Amino acid sequence: MAINLGYFVRESLVSFRRNWVMSLGAIITIYLSLLLVGASIGSSVVVNNIVQSVEDKVSIRIFLKDGAAPEDVESLQNALLKDERVKGVTYTSKEQALEELKKTMEDSPEIVDQLDVNPLPASLDVDLEDPRDVMDVVAFIKANPTFPNVADKPEEPEKSLKYGQQIVNQLFTFTRILRTIGVVFIAMLAVISLIFINNSIRLAIYARRKEIGIMRLVGASNWFIRTPFLMEGVVQSLIGALLTLGTLGLVNLYVVPIVRDQLPFLPFSISGTVAVQISLLLVISGIVIGVIGSGFALRRYLKV
Amino acid sequence: MISMRDVSKQYVPDKPAALIDVNVDIEQGEFVFLVGHSGSGKSTFIRLMLREILPTTGTIAVAGQDLGKMRNWKVPFLRRNIGCVFQDFKLLPNKTTYENVAFALEVIGRSKHVIRTQVPEVLRLVGLEDKMESYPDELSGGEQQRVSIARAFVNRPPLLLADEPTGNLDPATSLGIMSILSRINKTGTTVLIATHDREMVDSMRKRVIALEGGRIIRDQSRGVYGYGD
Ligand SMILES: Nc1ncnc2c1ncn2[C@@H]1O[C@H](COP(=O)(O)OP(=O)(O)O)[C@@H](O)[C@H]1O
Ligand SMILES: [Mg+2]
Repeated sequence: MAINLGYFVRESLVSFRRNWVMSLGAIITIYLSLLLVGASIGSSVVVNNIVQSVEDKVSIRIFLKDGAAPEDVESLQNALLKDERVKGVTYTSKEQALEELKKTMEDSPEIVDQLDVNPLPASLDVDLEDPRDVMDVVAFIKANPTFPNVADKPEEPEKSLKYGQQIVNQLFTFTRILRTIGVVFIAMLAVISLIFINNSIRLAIYARRKEIGIMRLVGASNWFIRTPFLMEGVVQSLIGALLTLGTLGLVNLYVVPIVRDQLPFLPFSISGTVAVQISLLLVISGIVIGVIGSGFALRRYLKV
Repeated sequence: MISMRDVSKQYVPDKPAALIDVNVDIEQGEFVFLVGHSGSGKSTFIRLMLREILPTTGTIAVAGQDLGKMRNWKVPFLRRNIGCVFQDFKLLPNKTTYENVAFALEVIGRSKHVIRTQVPEVLRLVGLEDKMESYPDELSGGEQQRVSIARAFVNRPPLLLADEPTGNLDPATSLGIMSILSRINKTGTTVLIATHDREMVDSMRKRVIALEGGRIIRDQSRGVYGYGD
């Protein structure tokens, strides 16, 4: 086996030297493809993080009328807490609402102080397990018999309720489009890399057709004839994958911090485990592309 | 060693067959000429032995194995028992004499030790011990053919096939090649030579199988080339 390994390594090197333009072409396309795959996975992880953080902030706020009976408020609160789509319900009194308003208007708190009466309603803030349930829970609240008794404007229930349905829907559409584009893009690039590897191995086979003919003649086994080409394809895509990892590592090290500084309010980071998963995925995709690409070429151009 | 029963080979439907109803037995250790004009089916005969192609009808056995029933993955192992020499030598131009011969052992997984002992030995047998480091383009045609014979024989196959081995060589050189082939035959290896080199066949007085239009028209021991022109 030791002899064979030496033989394969030597043959691959010779073949690479003879065929380096094509091999380099294959390596570069795989590099670019995997780079885009890595970049789209990385950015989709980031976008998911962002979506998540926005989703976490999505809640339903029920404005309560002044002087609503505390037992009615409590009964509505309990009805909501019993619902499994609801994560929690917090009561905010008129005074608390005013305090919060003051905080958000730090620059000119005197405006708030000048108010004679507190114009802000008390409210119930409903947090959801899954932000996609917003509309259902809103419907549930409107149907609740005590809701009209406590609502700030019972004749116009829409004005007594505030929720981020719009944002959630848009974000979901956005991420769905992003994912679809990503998948289509990645599929296209995978096909392009396959074509390139296939081509480079085809040329390698062509360049060595005389050797192959003699190998067949003297009885080299099929796997012995095929292995160097398969290895060549795998080595090409592995080199491409390693270049990709290097580039993504540099981007993560030098570019991501800059972006994060520019956009401090967005959670712009990829955790170590995710990075390792992405790296593994890229290396494995590289090997798979290499095996499939050269496998295709072998089936088509190296009949044994 | 070789047995063909009612073998016919038709490459293209509706065209005349390349071989028709061929029945041949060749024993271990024989030295046989396969003669005939160009297009008479000699190369087809040899390619059938190597199982590069399968007969359209009939059965072929080589070294006791039925080639028609042989699984594809076993074919390489059949070929390790058959040395093969061609008119165009089929040497690798970027390898030296030594490397060209060693290549045949290397690719069937022989150890370095085996290669280091067997290659010089076979090169001595064909008289090329002084040209081990030469590249094919530094060798004469006759020397190149001797390299290719060395490569065919280095694994000591029990059967050696040669398709027009002297087709590109002058008569004196051809005689040298023939004497090497006959030396190989004396080690017990069966030798089958396809040729249309009349003088050589006539001078050797070995068994001659004559083909014409794909049929065997003559099969005699100690025969001559024998076609009128
Ligand atoms: N691969 C092929 N496809 C079609 N016809 C072929 C092929 N090889 C040989 N033939 C035909 O078969 C006949 C015998 O050819 P061949 O065995 O090469 O004869 P020889 O070696 O005696 O010159 C010829 O008529 C030739 O044209
Ligand atoms: Mg011929």
